[in-house]
Amino acid sequence: MKLIESTRIKEKAYIEKLENGLTVIIIPKENTKKKYVIWGTHFGSIDNRFIMPKTNEEVFVPDGVAHFLEHKMFEQENGKNSLDVLMSLGVDANAYTTNNHTAYLFETTNNFYEALDELMDYVQHPYFTDENVEKEKGIIAQEIGMYDDDPGWQLYMNALDCMYKENAIKIDIAGTVESISKIDKDVLYKCYNTFYNPSNMALVVCGEFNPEEILQEIKNRIVEKENQAEIKRIYPESEKGINKKYKETKMQVSKPIFLIGFKDETLGKDKIKKHIAIEILMNMLVGKSSAFYKNMYDEGLLLAPLDMDYEYTDNYAHVMLTGQSKNPKKVQEELLKEMNNLKQNMDSQYFERIKKKVYGDYVVEYNSVADIARMFLSDYFKGVNSFDYIEQYNEVSIEYTKEILKEIFDEKNCIMSVVNIK
Amino acid sequence: MINETIELKQGIKFHKIETNKFKTNLLAIFLNVPLTRQNVTKNALLAAILRRGTNNMPTQEIISKNLEEMYGAGFDCGIEKNGDNQTIKFYLESINDEFLPQKEELLKRSFDILFDIAFNPLVENGKFKEEYVKGEKENLKQIIEGKIDNKGAYAMERCIEEMYKNKAYGLYKYGYIEDLENITSEELYNYYKEVIKTCKIDIFVSGILPKDIEKTVKENENISKLQERKIKLNEEQKDINNEEKTVEESMDVTQGKLVLGLDVTSNMENLSYITMCYNTILGGGANSKMFQNVREKASLAYTVGSNYLKRKQNIIIRAGIEIQNYEKALEIIKKQLEDMKNGNFTEEDIQNAKNLIIATIENIPEEQDTEISYYFGQELAGTNISTKEYEEKIQSVTKDQIIEVAKSVKLNTVYFLRN
Repeated sequence: MKLIESTRIKEKAYIEKLENGLTVIIIPKENTKKKYVIWGTHFGSIDNRFIMPKTNEEVFVPDGVAHFLEHKMFEQENGKNSLDVLMSLGVDANAYTTNNHTAYLFETTNNFYEALDELMDYVQHPYFTDENVEKEKGIIAQEIGMYDDDPGWQLYMNALDCMYKENAIKIDIAGTVESISKIDKDVLYKCYNTFYNPSNMALVVCGEFNPEEILQEIKNRIVEKENQAEIKRIYPESEKGINKKYKETKMQVSKPIFLIGFKDETLGKDKIKKHIAIEILMNMLVGKSSAFYKNMYDEGLLLAPLDMDYEYTDNYAHVMLTGQSKNPKKVQEELLKEMNNLKQNMDSQYFERIKKKVYGDYVVEYNSVADIARMFLSDYFKGVNSFDYIEQYNEVSIEYTKEILKEIFDEKNCIMSVVNIK
Repeated sequence: MINETIELKQGIKFHKIETNKFKTNLLAIFLNVPLTRQNVTKNALLAAILRRGTNNMPTQEIISKNLEEMYGAGFDCGIEKNGDNQTIKFYLESINDEFLPQKEELLKRSFDILFDIAFNPLVENGKFKEEYVKGEKENLKQIIEGKIDNKGAYAMERCIEEMYKNKAYGLYKYGYIEDLENITSEELYNYYKEVIKTCKIDIFVSGILPKDIEKTVKENENISKLQERKIKLNEEQKDINNEEKTVEESMDVTQGKLVLGLDVTSNMENLSYITMCYNTILGGGANSKMFQNVREKASLAYTVGSNYLKRKQNIIIRAGIEIQNYEKALEIIKKQLEDMKNGNFTEEDIQNAKNLIIATIENIPEEQDTEISYYFGQELAGTNISTKEYEEKIQSVTKDQIIEVAKSVKLNTVYFLRN
């Protein structure tokens, strides 16, 4: 097993690639009773066109299939639902689908190995029938209805539409009522057999474990499958420039909500360092002690600091700043002004202070086994190692950060999505 | 884990929870006041004003700078209903010195800042700064208006409001716009002084703590100037409605929100432990009757479940459904309540529910804020039950007891948010 370590926060992780291609990451955590396991496949809503490694067949699947598959994995041939089985063990179990991965997880203080049996069993044994696939469509339609009513989700989808003309990230994770109507058991099996191969998956455990022992326990529960060749995924070419500057929709909200986005076109470039610099920049621009926030608060245009997020994979990357204001256009204007000021003059004391804050944000992630395991899994599918955020922190200089500011925070790549009052 | 409570002065307690599970220390101050229509809006406004500035750190910007300098210590304050009383809460989370690139006295600084915010607000000419009060009134107004934004939460809030019309617990924790307009900064400051003089104060800290932590707290200037006090809080009011009511409201939604408010009318011993088991079987998770019958079998809902409000002995059932399925969903939900009364659940259902509750209990020491909330709940209830005793109480619940609770459950209000 390969050992990686962060001496500064006193944590380590062991990584092993099994013969069948499965990556196992073990993060031992002393003094905690809670244990967390998450098993993910590199298959998300963006993977709707691919070439199956075994047959070389090119496949198009309906939007929402990764999420649909997630729902159906719990169903077992013996009529039981694995989620129920796990819940009855007193285990908190769940699953989720993102743009680029699907994950099955549980956390528990008791019955760990019984729960591991169940998790590893159901993820390796799909059971789809015409009947159980049909039934799921009603439940997922309700879930889609919930998203349709969610102003935050509409805001996000519209922002993506502004940034990208054609990009798989624009596909709604749950699909549409229309797209899921086309899903049948054959589609599900095709996707399962392609993406749920161990070579396309990673399993992360975090808690009080002996690494050798838990690794053996995992191996004991593996169903042998051939290590398949890499899956070719076909995505639309990433295009330069944005799709449109602005998109607005009306819903029943008390005050408009808005999302100001910056499309990052430097995909794949020193991911971690860039990410840290972007975190620092977002905080400097719109954080609690920024001149921007003070002005907006004093003018009654913002009640709370903006939520900041930087999403990235190899196919898309963007900064998203979200908030609520009676005048989103004015907020955007002020933000762009502030951005230009910062480009002219970046105060080094301010930079150092925010850099400390960002360090604290990373350390806090290590408070919970759930946060740790989820972070390692999603970072793994992005091709990065989570400890590097702590370890490369010192390498991010003010000069480097200034460069990133010029590169990413560019007015011509800035968009705004607004959900206005109906 | 070591847990200790020290009475600093009459009515003011310091609770310390020593734990080495976390990278952070978490500090909390709770100011407890009675919940009344007269003061509910003022309390919400206070929570907002106090975060604006202190005599040492007169602006929010300066407070934020201090927190950022402390490796991004997280500060939050807010307001919460606790049965017929209200708590103004202040939290500060900072990294433990062990995990910093260099040694700094973060814990002491954290206490200094938190006490400063709660007990040393910026005062100008014998009142809160006018500009801040004006701004926060506007902000609070927007928060109150924003109640409609989260439809699920709104529907639940409205159901409780209907169940407790003209009673303390039916009040909205952020207060009322018509009351807000008349509050002046003088009046608010006078009210604040009264609160600080008379309210029940609880101070919590959780983390890897130095030996002299009690001394640090005691000797803090803001703490030493507090006086002892006799606590006046509301006694919980409990009266059962005999009339079932149905309330429908229209809004622009594609998904309907159905909420049922129930009264648990039993007075039996260990009621809350038994009701917890009852509620978990009814709507506590993927194995529950609600989830199985409303979602899995009938495909009527994506979200469905129930919550138990221990302090008020209510159960609230919630489901997001298609609007035309209202009758059908209501019928299936009522059927589940009947099934509970008739004992149509197995020993396995009970054991599953117990396992789920015990998992929640075992989780308490695994999260700093959850552990503080647990001990604060004990403090308010005047009990001292360890998590181990709590587990034993759950384990000893029997089927007969659950049926007895089920028979005492009465439907109070059906609330439906539709288009």
